Amino acid sequence: MAEFLSQLFNGLVLGLLFGVMALGFMMILGVMEVINFAHGALFALGAYFALTLQKVLGYWLALLISPLIVGVVGLVIEWTAVRRVYQKDPLFGLLMTFGLAMALEEVIRIVWGKIGYSIAAPKFVAGPVAIGFLWYSKYRLFMALLSLILLTAVWLFLEKTPYGAIIKAGVSDSEMVLALGKDLKRLRTLVFGFGASLAGIAGVIAGPMWSLKPTMGTDVLMPSFVVVVIGGIGSFWGAVIGGLIVGLSKSMSVLVWPRLSDLMMYFIMAIVLLLRPRGIMGEKSLLEQ
Amino acid sequence: MKIVRYMLHPMFIIFAVFLVAPIFIMRVGGMSLAIEVMIWAIFAVGYNILLGYTGLPSFGHGLFFGTGAYLCGLIQHHLIPGTWISILGSMLGCSIIAGILGFFLARKRGIYFALLTIAFTQLFFFIAFQWDSVTGGENGLMGIERYPLSIFGLFRIPIDGVLSYYYFVYAILVASIVVLWKIVHSPLGSVLYAIKQNEVRAKYLGYNTWMYKWVSLIISGLFAGLAGALYAMLQHGAFANPIHWTRSGDVVMMVLVGGGLTNFFGPVLGAAIFIALRDIVSTLTEHWYLFYGLLIVFIILFLPEGILGYLKVGQTSRKMISVEEKWSPSLSGGASDGHP
Repeated sequence: MAEFLSQLFNGLVLGLLFGVMALGFMMILGVMEVINFAHGALFALGAYFALTLQKVLGYWLALLISPLIVGVVGLVIEWTAVRRVYQKDPLFGLLMTFGLAMALEEVIRIVWGKIGYSIAAPKFVAGPVAIGFLWYSKYRLFMALLSLILLTAVWLFLEKTPYGAIIKAGVSDSEMVLALGKDLKRLRTLVFGFGASLAGIAGVIAGPMWSLKPTMGTDVLMPSFVVVVIGGIGSFWGAVIGGLIVGLSKSMSVLVWPRLSDLMMYFIMAIVLLLRPRGIMGEKSLLEQ
Repeated sequence: MKIVRYMLHPMFIIFAVFLVAPIFIMRVGGMSLAIEVMIWAIFAVGYNILLGYTGLPSFGHGLFFGTGAYLCGLIQHHLIPGTWISILGSMLGCSIIAGILGFFLARKRGIYFALLTIAFTQLFFFIAFQWDSVTGGENGLMGIERYPLSIFGLFRIPIDGVLSYYYFVYAILVASIVVLWKIVHSPLGSVLYAIKQNEVRAKYLGYNTWMYKWVSLIISGLFAGLAGALYAMLQHGAFANPIHWTRSGDVVMMVLVGGGLTNFFGPVLGAAIFIALRDIVSTLTEHWYLFYGLLIVFIILFLPEGILGYLKVGQTSRKMISVEEKWSPSLSGGASDGHP
């Protein structure tokens, strides 16, 4: 029972984190029509920047500044490279971010080395806490809280601000946004930066849970893909629900057969695709053209 | 003067170059690299049916390449130890897998198609990696042999030597390129190209575009399986690594660098350049992936039509991906090319 509950919590925590990752990934996919392979590398950069910054600035400032730096990296990437491929064949955007992902991972290897680091959880959330009869990691609960705050903030931003409305419109039809007189170019740059910093902050949060290694970005990218396919492109709740499904499937299958843990989400994806080809919350979008 | 024109055809130039190449390569070493070039050329030219001609950006074709390698080994270990049977079995197996995945994939296009191919390749990677009782897991499936070829039971030709295997792969490369050339210039090829240009229009012309996309997927899967089996025999083993998504870019880059989007033979040039570059850079620095990533960005930014496209070589037939627009409304050259 205790193991079941702790895996359930693990799944929920992981799911919320995947939700944060997938939201940024999906916004970039929607507004730019680019599959951002570099999303995982940006996630890893967030974790590594936090590793370095924490030593100097402490935990809270690192949590704040590291995603900002990753956001700036995102802006630079968009500004120098990715914006050249909009409106071209989707293959080019795909390859461009793929190349950037490969290069960024190698840069991490050059700067921080091949070996893994483990980050200690900040003191105020170190160690376990008793929930009823179950001892559970305080840090994971803290992760869940941070992810929830982030998801709420993104939801408020998308639903309650005029800029969020423009982004949502951009996800469903970016050219129409241009036709309505909005600055599509600036919108795209900002969305890329915003999506990048979401990946960065997810990396900072995940750092103490996983050990830091150069391939951590490539490992976390696939769940984001699958979340978007399961949840449906262009839906906030799709990303959250998809994230939870993927997180839970990863952790719960450990109970049944650990080897399934990496595979389960793909089987779920195949089933979802058979029943609802656009994903659970997906609507018809321009991406299908 | 017809013979001269034939001799200057890029197909015959390629065949001639690979035919005499061992004379030079034997002196400097690197025969297995040359074999690798031919294997990847088979893979890339077949993959280009899907990418360049049908316009479906698969980013997970390592799936078929890697699975072909495993199938080759599994057939040798558990069924019949023989070269032909393991190669044909790999091709058959991969086309069946392509057919099954095609049910999910063939209704999609563009980014959504790419997204699904990436997810499926990763699914296969984890299966290959985790199912170690069958695939050998992390260690790979070892002990894949190059059995002597039996020609109608009359002759037995050994291919375990480097040179003999080179010419075996060469013969398959020649056959593959001829078959793929025929496919591209057949009515089927024209319909695939029409789907790439404008799928809706092709549908309104009465073509069952779903089925054509499905067939295109199967053709590319079949040749990827063939290349995978040859690769397994070259390495005497099959590994999960080529299925991982981080290796998906390799074949796409070969198509792109050589100019496969504008030229049928681009992928052959691309495979040669890619493998030579990888070999040279890897000996100079351990940071090949930094170079690789930046190379991709460079190619996309400054050379999107590849080398042959940039040099405007042999653009006699068709421009296959329009770099500036999503799709080009022109149907130039379509009617004269054996369109039904």
